[in-house]
Amino acid sequence: MIGRSRWTGYALLAPALAAVGFLILYPLYLVIATSFRQGKTLNVLRLSELPFGLANYRTMLASEATWHSVWVTVVYLAGTIGPAFLIGLGTALLLNRAFPGRRWLRSLILLPWAVPGVIVSIVFLWLLDGSFGVINALLRSAGWLATDLAWFANEDTALAAVIVPTVWKAYPFFALTLLASLQSIPASLYEAAQVDGATHWQRFRFITWPGIRAPAMLAAILNTLWALREFDIIYLTTGGGPDRATETLAVRIYQEAFSFFRMGTASALGVLTMAMAVLLVLLSMRTIRREYF
Amino acid sequence: MLTQSRRWQFTLAALLVAAIVLFPIYWMLLTSVLPSELTRSRSPSLLPQLSALSLGAFRTVLARKPVLTWLANSVLVTVAATCVSLFIATMAGYSLSRFKSRAQQAAGFALLVSKMLPASLIVIPFFIAFSTFGLIDSRWGLILANAAVGVPFATWLMKGFFDGIPREIELAAMLDGCNGAQAVWYVVLPLARPGLAAAGIYLAIVTWSDFVFARTLVTNPDLWVLNVGMQSFLGEYLVDWSSLMAVGTLSLAPVLVLFLLLEPFLVSGMTQGAAAN
Repeated sequence: MIGRSRWTGYALLAPALAAVGFLILYPLYLVIATSFRQGKTLNVLRLSELPFGLANYRTMLASEATWHSVWVTVVYLAGTIGPAFLIGLGTALLLNRAFPGRRWLRSLILLPWAVPGVIVSIVFLWLLDGSFGVINALLRSAGWLATDLAWFANEDTALAAVIVPTVWKAYPFFALTLLASLQSIPASLYEAAQVDGATHWQRFRFITWPGIRAPAMLAAILNTLWALREFDIIYLTTGGGPDRATETLAVRIYQEAFSFFRMGTASALGVLTMAMAVLLVLLSMRTIRREYF
Repeated sequence: MLTQSRRWQFTLAALLVAAIVLFPIYWMLLTSVLPSELTRSRSPSLLPQLSALSLGAFRTVLARKPVLTWLANSVLVTVAATCVSLFIATMAGYSLSRFKSRAQQAAGFALLVSKMLPASLIVIPFFIAFSTFGLIDSRWGLILANAAVGVPFATWLMKGFFDGIPREIELAAMLDGCNGAQAVWYVVLPLARPGLAAAGIYLAIVTWSDFVFARTLVTNPDLWVLNVGMQSFLGEYLVDWSSLMAVGTLSLAPVLVLFLLLEPFLVSGMTQGAAAN
């Protein structure tokens, strides 16, 4: 062990503390401070010369666009987490079996987790392209689609179109967490159930599910926080459009800051987004305490 | 217990699942190696004619766009940010594992809070700070931003691995005449190699994936990374899908290799940290 003193411990920790301060404390401070600055400026160094007050919050809370974004965000979260959980659970149950080639098949099935958001975006833009997208071609040949559908450009389908790639990138995280907890369930429980003549469903309901429920909850919370932060996929595929149909808070924040240069409005929206995250964490504090720390 | 044929049935099922979930990747690869007449079609064939395969799209895009510059920038930023983060996270992880203190709970809390800030929000204070210190349009700025982002989770990961290495091993090395730093360097770190690999891969993938920082903190096209370069294709009136998929393939290749080779480390590390997302 390097030294015995507490100071050695803190010295080793110091660079990480600096990084965390830079990554979390400083941004929190600056975002909150900026959220009180009204108006727009092209020169961020002169932000502090803007008038100070609550106007950003007043405008934000009174604006319909804000509540529209909150609603889009909630739909996006719900639409992502449900399907991602089910696909993750299904693949975890499959990968929990012992079969030849499992090592490589597991890697392949979990691969989407590692695919960068930009690649996810360009691939799904191409797959779901209106004129030459292969998905449209498949749907046409199956007889499920009569005319071409530009999934990302159509107001009615755009939100679904951004949810699909998000689910694709999100399910491996569920699969991974659930797989780990499945493997910690003692095999003897299943053997005992077999002796007692339990059905497949009974085994899942009374052995598997209780064993994975808590980690599944934690994974759902973390995945929701991730989707709340998700920006790349929506920004690159639809940019929040058409007509704001996919404008989640994370996308709106960026547009306000770097398209309209309203740093104050963007920061106020950021505070609102963080408030949603805090609310989610507080509501699930019991699970987080038990499973996370 | 299971008969051999039942086990192969699961292999078959897993192959089918893999084929479905990897179809998007397959289609990207296929688009990049087929002439665009075949993929820009109303009814493209899902299986390629092998005779039609060509690397034409790669040649075209390398000639038309500064792909190699983007690639070099991506590699540089990723390698530098990963090294910096890994160094910081290894020290911090060791400290959290060996020196029980209040910092442990605080570390868990910091990790959780870092999961609550969207990158599109964090980039605003970063942009303001970097403007103040003249780090906009600088590789250093980009490296710094990416290095900071990876530290909380990599630290958590390393702490988990150090927790699994008994202190007695270090004490034994010290009885044999090592000083504390030598014990860590010659005994502990080699044992923590799977952890270093897992944290390194995690950090490399996160930095390689970064788009928001690269898009916002850098405007000079000479400093663009691959991800920003790929975005520039989307702004064009007619998107050249073959070329774009070729760049995408180049960009995915390193991720694919790293992930497939080292996924087991990542999985065992993540099950301890359980918060990689």
